[in-house]
Amino acid sequence: MANEELFAEIRAALVEFDVDLLKVKTQEALDRGVDAEEIIGVLSEGMDVVGERYQTGEYFVTSLIIAGETMKEALEVLEPHLSGHGVAKRGKIVMATVAGDIHDIGKNIFTTLMGTAGFEVIDLGVDVPAEVIVAAVREHSPDILGLSALLTTNLEQFPLIVEMLEKEGLRSKVKIVVGGATVTDEFAKRAGVDAHAKSAVEGVNICKAWV
Amino acid sequence: MYEDLMAVYEKKEGSPLVFQPRLRHWYDVNYNAGTLPERYHGMYLDEVYQDLGVPPREVWGPRRIGSELSGYFALNAVEGDDVEVWTRRLSGYMGMSEDDYLVTEYRTPVGSLRQVQRYTEHGTSLMNVEYLLKDLDDLKVFEHILGERSYRWDQNRYEWGKKRYGDAIPLRANLERSPLMWLIVGIMGFKKTVTMIWRHPQEMKEFMGILEAEHVKQITAYRGKPVAELNFGDNMHHDLCPPPYFKEYVTPFYQRVMPRVHAQGMVASSHFDGYLKQLLPLVGETSLDGLECVTPAPQGDVTLGEMKEGMGDMFLRDGIPAVYMCPWTPVETLESHVRELMETFYPRLILGISDLLPANGDVERIRLVKEMVEEFNAEL
Repeated sequence: MANEELFAEIRAALVEFDVDLLKVKTQEALDRGVDAEEIIGVLSEGMDVVGERYQTGEYFVTSLIIAGETMKEALEVLEPHLSGHGVAKRGKIVMATVAGDIHDIGKNIFTTLMGTAGFEVIDLGVDVPAEVIVAAVREHSPDILGLSALLTTNLEQFPLIVEMLEKEGLRSKVKIVVGGATVTDEFAKRAGVDAHAKSAVEGVNICKAWV
Repeated sequence: MYEDLMAVYEKKEGSPLVFQPRLRHWYDVNYNAGTLPERYHGMYLDEVYQDLGVPPREVWGPRRIGSELSGYFALNAVEGDDVEVWTRRLSGYMGMSEDDYLVTEYRTPVGSLRQVQRYTEHGTSLMNVEYLLKDLDDLKVFEHILGERSYRWDQNRYEWGKKRYGDAIPLRANLERSPLMWLIVGIMGFKKTVTMIWRHPQEMKEFMGILEAEHVKQITAYRGKPVAELNFGDNMHHDLCPPPYFKEYVTPFYQRVMPRVHAQGMVASSHFDGYLKQLLPLVGETSLDGLECVTPAPQGDVTLGEMKEGMGDMFLRDGIPAVYMCPWTPVETLESHVRELMETFYPRLILGISDLLPANGDVERIRLVKEMVEEFNAEL
């Protein structure tokens, strides 16, 4: 069997969430001497297919979660064989639920999907003060800052953080995407952020287009 | 008003529309933060309701965070003799603070469970920090707990609430979320539930059957009691529960339990407060009588027309996006939405905010909507 055929089986196993077969085929590729980094590239292609199926309505957010779990198991097989350089990331995002708000379901879905999309995710958690978020942007120099809030009382944190980033001279260096059920396009515009994502998947697509 | 609400349950036409907003969250947060409008200084919540001229939603709420007024769950849960429940607050002996945590441990002969929740929003809300169920072993422990748990109707508290509001509002009692959403939102968390269903489908399906048996116990405990409506607190959202899950776990559950509800002469609704575009075409198969808190765009993802099409003859409770009660939304936007909402859903409507007045909402908009409802009713 040619490597291309094996790669197709790896992609198919990931897309169908067949974790046992995926691990066997991943190991088979390693045994053939294929670089672990190259296999990760094949897995990423599989994740793209999962993403396409989500876009067409065949898959759902739950499918994306399962795909991430499936991929994680394949990566465990590959881990001992990775070179010290690690895998190149698509970009870096600092993510936080803003001060006063500890809702995290949406944020966690988003960070999971960003991780499987190849981003380095620095998740600051929930109820994060604006000062801590700004300090994290200064420290990590991310491409993107993601802010989440569910409660209307905490939406005012968005313009506050934008203002603080401007004062620190950091605003022009980072794109800002916000999300949360009570966020509207109108409010996001008023807050001075770059984008408002109505769903985790929309947020990932926005970030992919930026980086 | 009692008859007007019953008319919605009984599908009668011609009764005045009732506006029944939830205010407790707004009241509690602003009370604790010292930011209640001066007009309401010195007033308890029910006096605020009286001042605004609107009735409360849940006089008999679950007497815990999220319920209106002093609350009446109608049922008391009683744990088995060999189940110890230990709770620990990390701070906040005198009142509640933002940084307070509630740790709950169940200790049983077959194992222990631990849950950590954090008080938020000035101590008025509780969020899971550590979910109760983490692996298959925990399911066995919870099964043991539920197997011994029973429910008792609390007549004394019912009588108290009846004297206070019984002539105005039919008793609406709460149930747990349907089994899948109970897991996702309440006791296991979203990601863990999804991966557990994927890795252990049979065990999880059987466990959801055990949760369903708990609903049967609760519904049975309400039999013969003066309850008009039962409410499942699902927090439904199509990202958390996509159509395949809904068809496999949610619809069959409701199809099995709703005949019990109807046989007891009651109606039932469920709290659907997330994105619902993918689920509204499926809700008709549940046999639910109504949906609570369905949220139209721009906060939700559906139009009023899509809501009506999906819900058909079910009644809608609420329907005003909470963000329309916030100062940054033009009043005209709120007015035109309320007008369209009433025209679309009346008489299958109990008007309210999806799902409550936000802490930074403008309480005077309650008065405005109340006046719109009075004008609407005057033209009936």
